[in-house]
Amino acid sequence: MTAPIVLETDRHLKWPAFDRLEYALMILCGICLTGFTLSTLIDVVTRESGHPLLFLQEVTSTFFTYGVFVGASVATRRNDHLFLSALTEKMTGATRRFFEVFNRSVVLLVGLFMVWFGWQNVITGLGSFRMPSMLPMSYLYLGIPMCGALVALFSLEQIVNGLRNGFTPIIGDGPARDVSAGAAGDIGL
Amino acid sequence: MILSNALLLGLMTALFLTLGYLGVPVAFALIAGVLVGTAFTPITLQSMMAQLFNGIDSEALMAIPFFLLVGELMTSANVVIRIAELSQALVGHVRGGLAQVTTVFSMFFSGMSGSSSADVAVLSRTMAKPMAREGYRPEFTAALIAAASTIAALVPPSIMAVVYGAIGNVSIAGLFLGGIVPGLFIGFGLMIYCYFFGPRGFQRPRATFPQLVTAGRAAALPMMIPVILLGGIMTGWFTPTEAGVIAVAYILLIVIPILNPAHLRNVPRDFVLAGMIYSLPLITIAAATAFGWMLAYLRGPIVVSGWIGAIAGDSAILTMFCLVIVFVIVGDFIEPVPAIIIFMPVVNALTDQASINPVHMGVVLIVTLAFGLITPPYGLALLMASKFLDVRFSGALKASLPIYLIFFAAIAFTIFLPEVILWLPRHVFPESVGCFKSPTGPGYICP
Repeated sequence: MTAPIVLETDRHLKWPAFDRLEYALMILCGICLTGFTLSTLIDVVTRESGHPLLFLQEVTSTFFTYGVFVGASVATRRNDHLFLSALTEKMTGATRRFFEVFNRSVVLLVGLFMVWFGWQNVITGLGSFRMPSMLPMSYLYLGIPMCGALVALFSLEQIVNGLRNGFTPIIGDGPARDVSAGAAGDIGL
Repeated sequence: MILSNALLLGLMTALFLTLGYLGVPVAFALIAGVLVGTAFTPITLQSMMAQLFNGIDSEALMAIPFFLLVGELMTSANVVIRIAELSQALVGHVRGGLAQVTTVFSMFFSGMSGSSSADVAVLSRTMAKPMAREGYRPEFTAALIAAASTIAALVPPSIMAVVYGAIGNVSIAGLFLGGIVPGLFIGFGLMIYCYFFGPRGFQRPRATFPQLVTAGRAAALPMMIPVILLGGIMTGWFTPTEAGVIAVAYILLIVIPILNPAHLRNVPRDFVLAGMIYSLPLITIAAATAFGWMLAYLRGPIVVSGWIGAIAGDSAILTMFCLVIVFVIVGDFIEPVPAIIIFMPVVNALTDQASINPVHMGVVLIVTLAFGLITPPYGLALLMASKFLDVRFSGALKASLPIYLIFFAAIAFTIFLPEVILWLPRHVFPESVGCFKSPTGPGYICP
C-alpha cells in the first residue's frame, strides 16, 4: 500500500478544486528533492574527480530552499505540520468552532505577513547578487512570499469549509493517516 | 522600546506556547510570537522575514533531507523487515522475546534514520501486531517503542546532532561519535529492563549458526548504510550532507534493485513524500531561528546565563546540571529542534564560562532532549506511539515511568563521565573535540 499524493483526510475542509494545486505542489516537492539530490551527488562526483563545478552549490541551495518553502505551504493544506498539541480538538460546540477559526486565522495572518514583508525582502534583494551566477538574491527570497500566499490561501480554504461543514472530522471522510497500515504491516514474527 | 525586555520575552514566549497548545502549527506559533515581539521594538518586520531565510541557509542543515529520505526509502521499500529478522535471530531467544527484538531493531534502524519520529513509525508498523499477538500489553509496547526510538536522537545520523552542530558551531562528527555510548547505554538499559522487569514473552529457540548467517546475509546490504554514513564523515571524505547523498545513491542503485526491484517504480512517490516531509523540521528551524534571534536581541540569553552562572559559578558539573534541568523543563513543552536553536546562545555562553568541551555539553543536552521525547505533556515519541497503537497516553505514560530511571542513569553517566563520552571522538576523529596535531611528532594534543 502506498500513500496517496493528495491526502483524503479532512476532506470536509477542502475544496476539490484545490486538489490539483496540492498535487502540483507535492510534485514540486519531489522535483526539488530530486534536483537537490542530483546536484549534491554531481557536486561530490565532480569534486572527487578533480573537476569541481562551482555553480552546483548555488543550484543545490536553490532546490533546498524552495523545497522547504513549497513543502511548508502544502503541509498547511494537509495538516502535516509539527504541532505541540491540539487542545482545540478536545473542545466541542461553539467553543471549538471559535478556536478552530482563531487558530487558522493566526496562520492566515502569519501567511499575509510573510507575503507583505517577504515581498519587501524580494525588492531589497534586487540590489545584492549570488555568486557565481550573479543573479539577484531576490529569486531566492521569493520563496517566502510565495509560501505565505499559499499558506494564507489554504488557511482561508479551511476556515470557509470549516464554517460551512463543521470542523469535526466526518466519519468515513477518507482514510486516516495511519502509519501502522504501511507496507510492512506484519512481518510474520 | 515601549515594553521592558523581560516583559517582551515573556509576551513572546507566552504567545508561542498558548498558540502552540491551542493547535497552531509550531512554526507559525513561533513566527506569530516573533512578529508581535518585533512590533514593540525598533526592528523592522522585513528583517525578521530575512531571518527565516537565514535560519535554513546552512550547509550542515542540508543533511536533514537525505537522512529523512534514507529512512523513507528503507521503510517504503520494505527493506527494514530484514533488519527486524536479524534482530530476532540475535535476541529472539532471550527472556523478553519480542521486547528484546524491538530494542535491538531500534538500535540498528537508528543508525539509518536519524529521526525518532521515523523510528516510532517503523517500529509501530512492524512490531506492534506481533507483540500484541504474543500477549504484550499495548501500553507496555507503546512505552518501549517510544523509549527505544529515542536512540535515533543520539547515534549517527542523529538529526538533533546535526541541528545542534550547525547552530552551535560544534563538530557534528564529534557529536555523532559522542552520542554512540549513551545510545548504547539506553539500548542495553532497555534490554536489561525487559529481561528482569518486562513481560516474559514468548521465547523462541536460539537461532542456529546457519540461521544467524542467513539472517545476517539478508540484512547485510541495508546494514552497510550506517557504515557509509559514519565512515564517509570520519574519514574526512564527505561532509554529513554528502555522506547522506551517497547513502541515498547506495540505496537507489544497490539496495532496492537487489532486494526489492519491484519497488523501483514507487521511488518517485517516495521522493515526493520525502520532499514534503523534510520541509517540516526545516520550516520550524527557520521560525525558531527568528525567535532565537529576537531572544538574543532582547538579551534573554545573557539574563538566563547570568542566573545559571550565579548558581553554578565555574563548576562544569553544576553548570551542566542546571542546563539539564532547564532542558528537561523546556523539552517537556516544546520540540527539541526549536529548543536547541532558541537556547543555543545560553548554552554557548555557559559552555565557555565553565570551560566545558562543546561536544560533551552537546551530548549531555541531546540525551536530555531525547528524554523529553517520552515525558509529558509533550513527549512526541510517546504521543506518536500511543496514537499508532491506539492506547491512552496516560496508560503508555504509566508504563514508561520505570523506563525513566534508565534515562536518569544515562544523563548522569554523560555528565559525570566525560572521558567515556569523549573517548570515541578523541580516538577516531581527534579534531572534533578540539585536539590538534602535535608540532613535535606524531599524535595529537588534546585540551
